[in-house]
Formats: sequence, structure tokens, C-alpha cells
Amino acid sequence: MRVLIVDDSSVMRKIVARGLRQAGFKITDILEAGDGQEAMNLLKTDSNFKLILSDWNMPVMDGLQFVREVRGNIPQIKNIPIVMVTTEGGESKVSAAMEAGANGHIKKPFTPETLQESLQRFLG
Amino acid sequence: MSQSSSPELIEKLLAGLRQAVTEMMNSMAMTEVVFAGRESANSFTISAEVVGLVRLSGHMQGMVGVTCDQEMLRVVVSKIVGLPPEELSQEDLLDGAAELANMVCGGMKTKAQIGGVDLSPPIAIVGKEFVSQWKTNHATHIFTFQMEEGGLRIYSSL
Repeated sequence: MRVLIVDDSSVMRKIVARGLRQAGFKITDILEAGDGQEAMNLLKTDSNFKLILSDWNMPVMDGLQFVREVRGNIPQIKNIPIVMVTTEGGESKVSAAMEAGANGHIKKPFTPETLQESLQRFLG
Repeated sequence: MSQSSSPELIEKLLAGLRQAVTEMMNSMAMTEVVFAGRESANSFTISAEVVGLVRLSGHMQGMVGVTCDQEMLRVVVSKIVGLPPEELSQEDLLDGAAELANMVCGGMKTKAQIGGVDLSPPIAIVGKEFVSQWKTNHATHIFTFQMEEGGLRIYSSL
């Protein structure tokens, strides 16, 4: 089972990766991208992911645009579940991400238990 | 400089901030944190090596700054990410300062349950031998927390 983490913060990518492992999911590979564009470039050549966890605020391509791109016209990636991981809990922004095709939202800070509960339906 | 907000809202947010710091350090850094005091000032000097800043906008406007020294930051970030301190890069420290501020403010907002407050992306400053002046129209509330690794000060101009 492979997961892609998209976040411009190297520390947050490490925190999410550690949290996923602590939550007990049987993940074989965790790949990372520093922004939405980098993630899109990766997904065009490697689409075998069970889940994508994406930040909201990122340079080059932000999380909302990234969700729209993934839900675009590339058949092999358009159905990969995307969960937003962000401190921005503004209802309008969460709604915009969900309308664009995101499948869920996790607020930082989080615990392994929060991840377990929120991501079980994607990774369980 | 921050605009004035109602004292009730400010206290609600500050209570949320205090809870958020304790909970975040306990759950993510596995570190015991002790609240070591609160003070207020309109103008003061910050000589910390690490500053993470987040701006608040919407129903409440202001700025929150999280400060500590680099060694403390290195130890806390290493605990949060689960890597030895010596394996952290300078980029990790910079991102760590930003994420600390981000998570403190995100936690504060969640705990205070105040709607309509937006948080800016964090700004991180990590360096040595710099002294900065913080000046606001209204009092800045300064919370000090103590951990085994060192002290953490949080400046809230609301």
C-alpha cells in the first residue's frame, strides 16, 4: 500500500509519515512532493497510490488547484482519494476542497489516533 | 500593530492558546510542558533565535509569535518527527519553527471555538545574534512555558 504526501514543509511531511506509521496502517511506501505541481509530475509517471494527503497552502500549485488537477482528465489518477491536511479549518475553504473532489479533511495538530480514525476508510 | 478586539474574545482565544500548547507538546512532542507565567506589554525586545509568526484576520485581527532558542527547537522538532536531532537539516529547523507557530495557532482556534478567524501561512525566522523590537497599539500578552528542553514564549497581539 503506497501513500503520497504533498506538503511544502519538510517537517510536516515527516510528521505525517510518522503519524501514518504510528497509526498502524500497513504502508509499504510513502512518497513525498513539495507542492502540487511536483506531485502532478510524479503522478503522471507513477499513479499506484492508495491515498494522497495534501497540504492547503503551498507555493507553485496550492492544495485546491492540486485537487482540481488530479480530478481532471488523467484516468489513472482521477479516482485516488485525497485528504487535505491543514490548520486552515475555514468552512468555506473545506467546502471548496470537497466540491473540487477532496475526500476528507484533517486538522493540524493531529495524533496517530486522529489519523487512524480519519483514514481507516481509505487505508483499512 | 493590531486592531482592538473585545476583551472576552481575547481571553477566550488566549485560554485556547494555553490549552493548545500543552496538548500539542504532550501529544506530538511527548514532552511535559509547564505554564510558567503571563505578562502584558506594548513594547518589548525579543532576543530569541527562533521566531514563528502567524497573522490572524477576519473577526479577530492580530499576530501570534512563538519564540525559543535553536537548541530547544532542534530537540522539540526531533521529538515531533521521530528523528535524532543531529539528522535535522537547516530547512527542517526553519520548517519546524513555522509548523510550531502553525500548530499552536490552529490548536488555539480549535480550542477557542471562535468562528470567522483566518490564519495566515506561517513565517519563520531562524538565526543568531539578532534582537528585534515588537511594538503594538494594544497590549501584547506574553505566555511563558517551561519544558525540560528549555523555555517557549508566545506573544499574542490581538
